[in-house]
Amino acid sequence: MAKSDLQGSLDLLILKTLSRMGDLHGYGIVLHIQRASEDLLSVEEGSLYPALHRMEQSGWVTSKWALTETKRKAKFYKLTPAGRKQLKEAEESFEQLVKGVRAMLRYA
Amino acid sequence: MSLANRIANLFRRGKVDNEIDAELRSHIAMRTEDNLAAGMSPQRARREALLRFGNPAVMHERTAEADAALYLQGLWADMRYALRQLLRSPGFAITAVLALSLGVGAATAIFSVIDVVLFRPLPFANQDRLVFPFMKSRTGSSLPVSVLNYYEERAQLQTFTAMAGWSTLDRVNLERPEGSISLRAAKTTDNFFTVFGVAPILGRTFLPGEDQPGKDNVAVLSYEVWQAYFNGSARVVGQTVKLDGNPYTIVGVMPAGFRFPLYMREAIYTPLHAPESWARARGMHWMRTVGRMKDGVTLQQAQADLDRVMANLAKTYPQQEEGHTGTLIPLAAELNGFASDGKMKGPMQTLSLAVLALLGIACVNVAGLLLARGVKREREIALRAAVGASRRRLIRQMINESLVLALAGLAGGVLMSWLLLKAMNVFLVEAIARGADVSLNLKVLAVALIIATLTSVLASLAPAIRLSGTDPNRALRGGSGAGSGTSLGKSQHRLRSTFVITQVALSLVLLMVSGLLLRNLQALFKTGLGFNQNKIIAVVLDLSRGNYKDPSGKNEKDPLLTFYHPLLERVAHLPGVVASGVIDLLPIAEWGSGYDIHIAGQPPYPKNAAMSSETRNVSAGYFDAMGIKLTRGRLLSPSLDRPENIASNMVVNEAFRRKFFSNGSDPVGAHIDDAGKAEGKSGIVGVVSDIRQDLQSPPMPEMDWLIDALPPKDRMDTLRNMFLMVRTDGDPKALIPSLRGVIHDIDPGVPFRSQTMDEAVNEQLTFERMESWLFGIFAAFAVLLAAIGLYGLISHEVELRTREIGIRMALGSTRASVMTQVLRRVALLVLSGTAVGWILTLASSKLLASIVEIHTAHDLGLLARISAGMALVGILIGIAPAREAASIEPMQALRSE
Repeated sequence: MAKSDLQGSLDLLILKTLSRMGDLHGYGIVLHIQRASEDLLSVEEGSLYPALHRMEQSGWVTSKWALTETKRKAKFYKLTPAGRKQLKEAEESFEQLVKGVRAMLRYA
Repeated sequence: MSLANRIANLFRRGKVDNEIDAELRSHIAMRTEDNLAAGMSPQRARREALLRFGNPAVMHERTAEADAALYLQGLWADMRYALRQLLRSPGFAITAVLALSLGVGAATAIFSVIDVVLFRPLPFANQDRLVFPFMKSRTGSSLPVSVLNYYEERAQLQTFTAMAGWSTLDRVNLERPEGSISLRAAKTTDNFFTVFGVAPILGRTFLPGEDQPGKDNVAVLSYEVWQAYFNGSARVVGQTVKLDGNPYTIVGVMPAGFRFPLYMREAIYTPLHAPESWARARGMHWMRTVGRMKDGVTLQQAQADLDRVMANLAKTYPQQEEGHTGTLIPLAAELNGFASDGKMKGPMQTLSLAVLALLGIACVNVAGLLLARGVKREREIALRAAVGASRRRLIRQMINESLVLALAGLAGGVLMSWLLLKAMNVFLVEAIARGADVSLNLKVLAVALIIATLTSVLASLAPAIRLSGTDPNRALRGGSGAGSGTSLGKSQHRLRSTFVITQVALSLVLLMVSGLLLRNLQALFKTGLGFNQNKIIAVVLDLSRGNYKDPSGKNEKDPLLTFYHPLLERVAHLPGVVASGVIDLLPIAEWGSGYDIHIAGQPPYPKNAAMSSETRNVSAGYFDAMGIKLTRGRLLSPSLDRPENIASNMVVNEAFRRKFFSNGSDPVGAHIDDAGKAEGKSGIVGVVSDIRQDLQSPPMPEMDWLIDALPPKDRMDTLRNMFLMVRTDGDPKALIPSLRGVIHDIDPGVPFRSQTMDEAVNEQLTFERMESWLFGIFAAFAVLLAAIGLYGLISHEVELRTREIGIRMALGSTRASVMTQVLRRVALLVLSGTAVGWILTLASSKLLASIVEIHTAHDLGLLARISAGMALVGILIGIAPAREAASIEPMQALRSE
């Protein structure tokens, strides 16, 4: 349960990043998550890739090889309409979770 | 889309791998660059990047998993690896595969029988529409239908497309130039084939009205008879053959597989040809019926219809029909012996349970073996875990390895079941209606595959979970004697002990059941039959009616005067014959011919009391031939009991006396109320000792009538199918040639078939023999597996404790005490297993009751002996490892570590 939630939130972070930043490679996504979360959220960087590949298989993102600003070959990911829909759902369910937990904390 | 992608990825693993590698590498490179830019040293930059990234190998593996159902790819690699591993430890491989083969083989064999009995569709169209009316008399006994009632039922029933009557009481002689052949005859009404909706492959079946005298000399051949005696010739239709000496026209041939009743192989179908006296008597119940319900009619509606008709009959003919009931049973259930009172149901369930027990033992056995092997593989697994294999991946690897075992077990199991079925074949064909159809077909093989896979996966689950939890640190640091002293080693031994106890317990249950079955069987063989089965031979005498007519075809030759008298006269003088006689039903094998009687002068019997008696026609010599003793009065005699007597005379048996003269009065001189006037009532002239009519029930009341006293007009009907019983002082089979000679001398048209009474008893017990035979085999398998399991565990324990035993001995333990210690452990395991086995047996005695009753007090001796035997086997098995332990050289044991 907890595990799938964590995985869910990693998916959410990736989807959100891609929706904000457009095409990005894995490293870029990591950097964005760190920056945007003010270094509060740091993931084991490698674990991003199983998630990305799974999302690609699910049709939420597409990928293509391209060159970075530093002329390095990297795989860039891009959100699909299905991914956008998934992001919306994930955001909503996350809001619900946060709301619920907050309510619990207040009550206790 | 995604699935297609993943599967596609399977075939380009190399490309996918490279891509993932490139992607991960580029990530680490970018991080390293940033680190450099932040001012780190090149070395530190790279190390920091890797640290943040996590284990690249693991990440790669997990990413690849997300990409493809790489599971399958892994499966293949795992299996190849497993195969190499198995080949490297042949002892383990052989034992595990043997265990699986025994379990899977037994299960497959039993399933193939269940397949035929339960699942195979009947060889009829619309089999779910077919019903069998099970008729019962006032007293609850099974009751066939009389011809007269049948025609009324047929006219009144509204919910049936067809209701057909049939009888298999007779055999018929098919006359051929090479000699007569006795075939099973299904004599049926004209609408018989309409019920089953199966078209003939040649010609036609019966036309409406062809069951009426004058039109009824037609026959339909079964496929087997057509092949065997007519060479499968297409010209057979229209041909005239002689059946029982009378000409019949063959009108059709049924397709292969069509059989009714199902046990009838080599059958020929003819119209009823009811003996005239039977056709006229409403009280003469001798026909069975089978019906096909109209489409859309439910079983309940058809039942209500039948109830209505039965009530009508009872109203019209209260004397004969009142109180008779009929219950419709779906034909499939009835034929396969799975109806409520079916013979197959209980035993099949119990056999399935036995097979499950055996499978359980095999499963636990393999699990134990895997656990033991696991201890030796701890280091290998630890190494894998250390380089990044996840726990799930490890479990999966081990389960994949078990699939290799499953495949090997499947192959062995199929071979084993083939052998089992081969060995069971004789039993199957005789004991089960469709036993000859049992085969290893695709469905059975699929089930075998499932069984083998499930068993292996289940067996590997516990060891896999346990082993995958290996702590790499400890396992790798520990000495070469991996497993020794670790907590894993200890807890896995506890688990294996449980396994061994389970095996011992389950084998004991199987042993006990098979022991009880065997004893019951022996008891049945030794039943006081009332005669000596080893000295008596029975010859079937089927006369061809057509051969007992004068040349004009009008008047019958008297079979008594022209056949039986000369036969008995000549047989009596054959060398080796002590006594001989004839009877119309073969003792032990056939019974059920009888009717309700009332002794003249006794008060009326309660309406629902079963006051019936069996009835037999015998020759005067019959009693001596069977060794039956006269206890009161006189025996029957041709000179006293003559056809012209106004009243007939009979001899009754002791069971008859006990039932009808329970007040102690003398039956001799009493009469039964079978005629209106006193002088016409049949009288009892003597009482004789009992013999069993049915092997499995106590002797039934019986009345015996002398064949010489039959009125000449009834003789052909009564004497057409008789049994010549001959008692000898030597080997009964030695008489066969001379008996055959005498019979063919008198009537060459009589097919010769004989059976010793010993064989007849055996034949009656086919099912019971099969049952105990199977249980015996299963129990033997089980004990073998339990022994392997026990031996494996103990010798493994000794091996692991070599060092400890060495220290003990160095400190002064004697060899004897080391041995005792090991044996004590064995004893503890075996005794626990025995105790659990007893509990299981007693707890399941209700389940087992359908095949064997367990009376704890009565069977205590036998069960105790079996348990002691099992325990003894256990201890004997423990001796080898115990001696090994005792022969450990302390110095060597300590140095080797």
